[in-house]
Amino acid sequence: MKRYRLEPRPAPPPGLVLAVSCGAVVAALVVTGFIFLGFGHNPITAYAQLFAATLGDLRGVSEVLRKTVPLLLCGVGLVLAFRLQFWNIGAEGQILAGAAGAAGVALFVPGLGPATLPAMFAAGFVAGAAWGFLPAILKARLGVSEIITTLMMNYIAFYLVQYLILGPWRGQEARGFAYTDRFPPEAALPLLPGTRLPWPTLVVAVALVLFVAFLLSRTRLGFEVRVIGQSAHAARYAGMGFTRVTLLVMGLSAGAAGLAGVGEVAGVHLRLLDPAQISLGYGYTAIIVALLARGHPLATLLTATFLGLVFAMGDTMRVVLGLPFQMTGVISGLVLFFIIAAEPVLRYRLRRAPAAPLQAPEAATPEPAKEVARGARELAD
Amino acid sequence: MKRWWLGALMMGSVAWAQLEEVQAGFIYVGPVGDFGWTYSHDRGRRAVDERFDWLTTTFVESVPEGDAETFIDQLVRGGANVIFTTSFGYGEATLAAAQRYPEVLFGHATGFQTAPNVMVYIAEFYQVYYLNGLMAGALTETNKIGYVAAFPIPEVKRHINAFTLGVREVNPEAEVEVRWLYNWFDPAGAAEATQALIAEGADVFAFSEDTPTVIQTAAERGFPSFSHYSAMYDFAPEHVVSGQIANWEVIYADFLEKVHTGEYTAQNLEDVNYWWLLDDGAVIMGADEETPINPVFEERLRAVTVRDPELGEVSVYDLVMARHDAMREGGPEAFDPFTGPVRDRRGNVVIEEGVTPDQETLETLEWAVEGVSASSPWDNEP
Amino acid sequence: MELESWLISATARSLAFATPLLLAALGEIVAERAGVVNLGVEGMMVLGALTGFVAAQLGGDPTLGVLAAGLTGGLAALVHAFLAITLRANQYVSGLALTIFGLGLSGVVGRAWQGQPLRNPFRALDVPPLAELPVLGPALFQGQHLMTYAAILAALLLWVLLFKTRLGLSVRSVGESPAAADALGVGVYGLRYGCVVFGGVMAGVAGSYLSLAYRPSWSEGMSAGMGWIALAIAIFAAWNPLKALWGAFLFGACFHLAFRLQGVLPAEFLRLLPYVATIVALTLASLGRSRARRGAPAALGTPYTRGER
Repeated sequence: MKRYRLEPRPAPPPGLVLAVSCGAVVAALVVTGFIFLGFGHNPITAYAQLFAATLGDLRGVSEVLRKTVPLLLCGVGLVLAFRLQFWNIGAEGQILAGAAGAAGVALFVPGLGPATLPAMFAAGFVAGAAWGFLPAILKARLGVSEIITTLMMNYIAFYLVQYLILGPWRGQEARGFAYTDRFPPEAALPLLPGTRLPWPTLVVAVALVLFVAFLLSRTRLGFEVRVIGQSAHAARYAGMGFTRVTLLVMGLSAGAAGLAGVGEVAGVHLRLLDPAQISLGYGYTAIIVALLARGHPLATLLTATFLGLVFAMGDTMRVVLGLPFQMTGVISGLVLFFIIAAEPVLRYRLRRAPAAPLQAPEAATPEPAKEVARGARELAD
Repeated sequence: MKRWWLGALMMGSVAWAQLEEVQAGFIYVGPVGDFGWTYSHDRGRRAVDERFDWLTTTFVESVPEGDAETFIDQLVRGGANVIFTTSFGYGEATLAAAQRYPEVLFGHATGFQTAPNVMVYIAEFYQVYYLNGLMAGALTETNKIGYVAAFPIPEVKRHINAFTLGVREVNPEAEVEVRWLYNWFDPAGAAEATQALIAEGADVFAFSEDTPTVIQTAAERGFPSFSHYSAMYDFAPEHVVSGQIANWEVIYADFLEKVHTGEYTAQNLEDVNYWWLLDDGAVIMGADEETPINPVFEERLRAVTVRDPELGEVSVYDLVMARHDAMREGGPEAFDPFTGPVRDRRGNVVIEEGVTPDQETLETLEWAVEGVSASSPWDNEP
Repeated sequence: MELESWLISATARSLAFATPLLLAALGEIVAERAGVVNLGVEGMMVLGALTGFVAAQLGGDPTLGVLAAGLTGGLAALVHAFLAITLRANQYVSGLALTIFGLGLSGVVGRAWQGQPLRNPFRALDVPPLAELPVLGPALFQGQHLMTYAAILAALLLWVLLFKTRLGLSVRSVGESPAAADALGVGVYGLRYGCVVFGGVMAGVAGSYLSLAYRPSWSEGMSAGMGWIALAIAIFAAWNPLKALWGAFLFGACFHLAFRLQGVLPAEFLRLLPYVATIVALTLASLGRSRARRGAPAALGTPYTRGER
């Protein structure tokens, strides 16, 4: 009797990864098409309208990119943290911390002149990193679940920003409303002519992606991240500094999210304002960006742009199709479901087997585990 | 109304003066189902859409402040020649868009900066809050009135002050105890804040959050409350005393009609400032549109009497009605709750005897009147 | 106000707010005891709140609402179970997807139901003989909802079930060492499915408490982050239903006191209280346990494949 069985696949070829990911996204868009149908829209014309409005001209594309930048900055940081098996879902709070740090410099450190913007980016990075410090140290030293602590830090950042704009930082020109004053002109990022896209943040974001890719694949820290991420136990055995690596990685990851916060206040709002308005959930969506990228920093260039497109299409959807704004959440959720449902295709392959084996074979050692073994050997030498 | 979008793409630009066809786009800050601020703007939109056959409308809900310009672009590209932006935070986006689209007329709700093609408008509640305060002062037995407040900003402070002035006029012993939510929309918080106030002894409730939570929570324990922003009578018919209802329709209708006839153009909006009150019909006192005071409470309100310099010995019910009629017919000139002397709660006179504050004073006030009991940031009062 | 009555009313309110937290946390404890993390609690809660409201409104009976909410939560959890157990997907991702999807879907579907008062909500009640007790009566047995007592009862029952029965032993062994349990003939997949779905049912019911009893109407996003707090309680309670009772009460107290103490302390800092308390509580909880284990089921978060190790 012939039978089929699943067999673990050692390392899926990149082409297959791409094909399966695209397939999952398409499947999610097909299901969304049925929802369009439910609202009385022909899915094909609906998608045509959406793509025309978002990718049809420079303004549309620049709006996509405007949403992409914060997703890219947070997403690449999360890729790094996730590689360490550190489930940072606190990018949203780290964005807010970065925004507050930048606003503090813009409003209260006068006389910096052309150094204002660099100083804001530096302050935003440090503030974001500081916001990631507590969860990182608690996880590294006490094993406190970073999922919960990073999330709680989001709420804390939210209310602290609210306190700042209602209390000590409330602006003279805000008529009592909860806003700081507008930033001075030297604290505003230049925009790409004819659009609302602050291009320097885009440059910073792409540079950071390249840097993280280099860090992960070519440096000792990157090597340690990969090893610890595969097996913290093996890494400890090899004498790697779990705490040091966790703190460094979270500093970079949270700092990157802080940069996204700088980009939002210095490029879009030009003041500190209600925290719900500063970031439009970029920190949470960046989790999808990072997961879609499957641990590869360079892939975030693709995945962040894709989710930027989903955001921009969601905006257009509300105007052109009159759909409720919560549809963006439905689509994001669907994309995630399909992506992880497609995962087994990558990890296993179907093989025809002559008969059921008496004992299941050992799982093939996955690539990174080999790396651990090799790393441990190297260190032992 | 739905399909004007496609046709509009072909129509091109619009004539200067009189607008034969008006296409109004609305930018909302919240979801249309919030049952508060955005809901009532959208009621106004639907009403004018139905009323005028030369008018088509469309709207975008839950627009973040940083994206307002993007959505204005999309609406204008869709052919809108009038745009209403319904949140203070849209101010800069509105002014910037107005410069870019000089032929489009803009209305900015709760704003203060105008331009040749930007007017500002608001349907303002403080008179109604004062009237509700009169009733609350008569109904409390513990002399403690609970107020669940959204954000410590001048609009909310103005309403708490007006409400407290009413309470104190009827009942100089009563205190208005404030709990802050730091949120316009927070049902769980509003419920727990109400429960905290009940535990502290409050027995009458008013609020400024966008859901009927306070009413429901108070009613479950049998306490009366005042509805906010839209008609919430149905949520507790035995317990909603009265309330304030926004009627944006009258402002939208007035403005759009003048745009249609050519009285308002994209060049002459510099001085257009709708600060519309009871006498304009932009706000209504009531548990719902037809019920100014819930009959369930009529007897209790008639039983309490006060001495008024003009009206003499008068029941609170009659006092409310008299003041209501005065303000509805004569406007702030006939009666204004903020007419001095008004003291803040440190005892300083903030409005001199006989002075009626102007719009800007009311729009920027930060102090709390006597009788308001709240934690910071009210300690920052001057 | 005198201290005694202050404490009584604070206790009563903390209990009321703790109810949804407790229900959801209990469900998550069972799922995690079987080795499956579900970060979708928030999504399942909000879906439960919506369907509970709709069913109660259409059927005219809040009990129908609780059933519908439990069913919805269970179905949503089934999706997570399929992805996490059968497809061996990353459990964190699957749960997050459930939360994002649930919040979005309930927002879209729930639009028609926004702003309606529920015609037949659960009424708060006094427990006849106990309500007369001096301090304890007003603190615990007056003006609460039936679901509050049901939640406390559920905590006791689940403790017995998990620690005193054969089934409970099986569940725990599946979470500790699925391979060993499998070898002993315990149905790992079936038990895990059962526990995850049970967790979903509890989260759905927790949501229905909000829309049927605590605040009888539906508004979008009304779970307001409680699902995440429930996850924290599961950890804080070291996956023990009895300790979850105290955990939920503690967090209920934090939320209540954030409004209660506003007359004394600045409001803007009180709003931070529940979130700061969560971090502090988790830190203390892990300080108090041995560094090696911290009470977590050993196989938590890892999918099980027969024959693989």
